[in-house]
Amino acid sequence: MNRRVVKGIILKDLKEVKRERMTMFWVFAFPLMWITLLGGIWGGHSPPVTIQLGVVCPNGSAIFTTGNVVAAMENFTIDGVHVFKIREYGSEKIGMEAINQGRIDALLVFPRGFEKNVSEGLPIRIYAYFDRSDPQKYQVVSGTVKGFLSEFRHEMAVRRLNITLSYMGKYMSSNFGDNFTVEDGKAYLLGLVNPIEVEEKNVTGNAPSPIQFYVTSFIGIQFLFATMLLIGSGTLEEIEHGTLRRIAASPATAWDFLAGKVLSTFTIVTISILAGIAYAKLVFGETIFPSPLGWVLIFLAAVFSMSLGLAIAMATRSIKATNTIVNLISMPLLFLAGIVIPEATLPDWARPIVNYFPLGSALKGLRLLELYHRPASEVLPGILWLSVSAFGILLIAVLLYNWAVKRLG
Amino acid sequence: MQSVLNFRVSTLFISSTPFLGLGLPMKAIKINGLKKSYGEFFALKGVSIEVEEGEVFALLGPNGAGKTTLIRILTEGLGYDSGEIKVFGKHLSKETARLIGYVPQESVAYDLLTVRENLDFYADIYNAPPSRIPKLIEEFSLPPEKKAKELSGGMKRKLSLAVALLYEPRILILDEPSTGLDVPSRRELWGRIKRFQYEGRTVLLATHYMEEADALASRVAIMNEGKVIAVGTPDELKSLAGRESVLHIEGSLRGVELVRREFPRVIERGNILRVSVENARTLLPRVVETLISEESEIRTIRVEEPTLEDVFLKLTGRGLE
Repeated sequence: MNRRVVKGIILKDLKEVKRERMTMFWVFAFPLMWITLLGGIWGGHSPPVTIQLGVVCPNGSAIFTTGNVVAAMENFTIDGVHVFKIREYGSEKIGMEAINQGRIDALLVFPRGFEKNVSEGLPIRIYAYFDRSDPQKYQVVSGTVKGFLSEFRHEMAVRRLNITLSYMGKYMSSNFGDNFTVEDGKAYLLGLVNPIEVEEKNVTGNAPSPIQFYVTSFIGIQFLFATMLLIGSGTLEEIEHGTLRRIAASPATAWDFLAGKVLSTFTIVTISILAGIAYAKLVFGETIFPSPLGWVLIFLAAVFSMSLGLAIAMATRSIKATNTIVNLISMPLLFLAGIVIPEATLPDWARPIVNYFPLGSALKGLRLLELYHRPASEVLPGILWLSVSAFGILLIAVLLYNWAVKRLG
Repeated sequence: MQSVLNFRVSTLFISSTPFLGLGLPMKAIKINGLKKSYGEFFALKGVSIEVEEGEVFALLGPNGAGKTTLIRILTEGLGYDSGEIKVFGKHLSKETARLIGYVPQESVAYDLLTVRENLDFYADIYNAPPSRIPKLIEEFSLPPEKKAKELSGGMKRKLSLAVALLYEPRILILDEPSTGLDVPSRRELWGRIKRFQYEGRTVLLATHYMEEADALASRVAIMNEGKVIAVGTPDELKSLAGRESVLHIEGSLRGVELVRREFPRVIERGNILRVSVENARTLLPRVVETLISEESEIRTIRVEEPTLEDVFLKLTGRGLE
């Protein structure tokens, strides 16, 4: 390989990119826009959800009314946020209409006799309706409402038990025989109403922040779009301007040309990645900086992406067709390869893409290394697979380049 | 007629190799039976040419004759179907790339780079000594810090020529060098081509301007439809026209078709009519009479010796453009 030729191509490409405003936009401004948008929308800490809850209450004048339940719900807060926003409806029918129209997420119907049964210590019943059209939302709403009611039921059981226990102490013998005392009976009854006591303890996990996740997303976007488009369209522009014919006619070999192009593109993308990392730190106060092994992953992913872009460009020999095909590949992968969406939220059928498509697995490896601080041994099989696929596709790109150069019109 | 032409062409091939035995100049370029097709279209149908070292050799022919394809095979690595090409005795390859300097029709400059940056880049690609760059900038009066996109057509051609001369090649190949140049720029370019020849180097140029071939070339190969149909010095080729002369008539001309019916070898270009005939002085009144009868306004009439274009017309039955 001729180092002077490679150096010449790198310097020429860098000067051209520096003077080409559109390229500067796509390489620098567009990814920073992504970080700003993704970080701005999903980068902060999410507040607890607020549930629109409808209630239908019977009229009554008992000591404990449905009004007490509703008031307790209205005052129920998590992290200072009121969890339930209550709307009262005159009848079950009107409440059902509201849930069908999506005005409320759930409806609680307190039947006639509710207040009487509460006051007299008899079994009580509440009818709960949930909108199941959105399974995820249903999960959150039903879990929260049932959780509240479970707590309410427990509280009521404890109160009833305490009343009962006060009578037990007053009217029953202190020893039932066989060393079974009243106190033993009280403890047994308490166990009946409260078989499991859950004690909540707060732990702050070591999970990455959303901004750190989106910085890796931004690096993934650079793999997918910038590298593929830069090298593909850059080479096609050389064909259109006739300069590639000139280079092909020179003593420079295909490997010289491609090494120059790959290194210049990687330099541009590296500068862009560093700008994105610094930008996230500056604007959101958080970022990641890849370790040396992380940079190896980035380089290999860039080689894979550039080779793919070059192979497409050489096969089509058209800037428009190349841009279209690159977008056709990149846009679905942006979501399906786990670049902007965490793997955990992807459907089962898309997960193999994250694990086996080289760019998806490169990004997964990068996240394991940089976000979860996993040992290098965990990502080495992925690096091996990425290396093999990157140099395989590079070889195809070189063959297509040689084929295309012989046919330059 | 065909056999007569074949005889004459083969005679010219023989007469164009004046040195036999020892002292024979080395063949700068030797092409033998070159064929190239694009799908069903045959761009070159077995072209054979020998260019001597130190001569200016012109490929003359209309657009589509195969000149540019031939040049791209020689200079740009364009693939070909069969045949053999040697440059100074070596097979055409990356090894021979630095022997050839090439000035294509289009600019080879990167628009966003300055003149100096373009020369730096090509010096790297061709492994040329960097010391050549300031010399060429001075020699061609190029503005070193101006971006290529800001250069005029003439300046861009100069830059292409400077790029071609960076590594001091032994052969300079130019594809349609005068196209798009104004008259002073064309004269300057022709002067440089001649100077290059005086330095003992070889020039191969492709052109469809017969004046250019006539003014510059030591020998000319006339190409048509992918074949070389004649090779020789301009005078040798003109002798193919035999005893014919050319009636050059200029003016607002009508009735050209009537003239063509009687004298088939007619070239009409704008308001100029060139009619190749034997016994020009005898036939001149008939041609003029035909034109005037159709209400033509004739401004100039003269009898000329045949040009290369007239030779081409005689050989192919059509003009160069």
